[in-house]
Amino acid sequence: MIEARLTDLPLDPAAELSRFMAKLADEGAVVSFAGIARPRNRDGADVERMFLDHHPRITQSSIDDIAQAASRRFAVGAITAVHRFGEVLPGETIVFVAAASLHRRAAFEAADYVMDRLKTDAVLWKREDSVDGSRWIEPTEADRADRARWSE
Amino acid sequence: MNILFFGKLGDRIGREVSIEPPPAGFTVREVRELLASLYPDLAEDLTSPSLKACVEDAIVADEFRVGAGGTVEFFPPLSGG
Repeated sequence: MIEARLTDLPLDPAAELSRFMAKLADEGAVVSFAGIARPRNRDGADVERMFLDHHPRITQSSIDDIAQAASRRFAVGAITAVHRFGEVLPGETIVFVAAASLHRRAAFEAADYVMDRLKTDAVLWKREDSVDGSRWIEPTEADRADRARWSE
Repeated sequence: MNILFFGKLGDRIGREVSIEPPPAGFTVREVRELLASLYPDLAEDLTSPSLKACVEDAIVADEFRVGAGGTVEFFPPLSGG
């Protein structure tokens, strides 16, 4: 079960994890990750909201590609990736990823891989609106280095 | 020819603008140059290699020629997660 989904509704990581685990068969390991919108930006200013712009077709196909690539690369039985678009408030979950495998290593690696690629390859554009103004976020050198770890 | 913008450029210019190309259409480079002249404050973004051009859901090079009735979509650097 490989699933990648976009939503403009609140994302409940506990509910997502329960739904994911309910569909498993004989996997012995589940790893999940939730990314939360931070209340302060890198300069310490209070963030009022994040806004994620997306493309009507290519955003979905980009996250499908990432989930499918993870399923080919690692011995995982199931992967779910759910990403918010539109307005996201501080403290809300912006992204959720879960991976399940027979043994733990593949699930850890698949979740790590999906997150690294979502940061740099998912067709999304993230704007941070803080008390100091608005700023469009671009991948950092650290994000690019994380992504490069998986290059063949 | 329709031009769509996403991310920062979508905020600054708007999602969609129309430009009038010659009958043979424009290369992506010519589209960038025209837009840079229309939006001089954003010329650096519009001509940057980090701004990707997309035609019919595929990323294309600056030499790619777009027909007069075509659509070009411009993608600034991505940032998900």
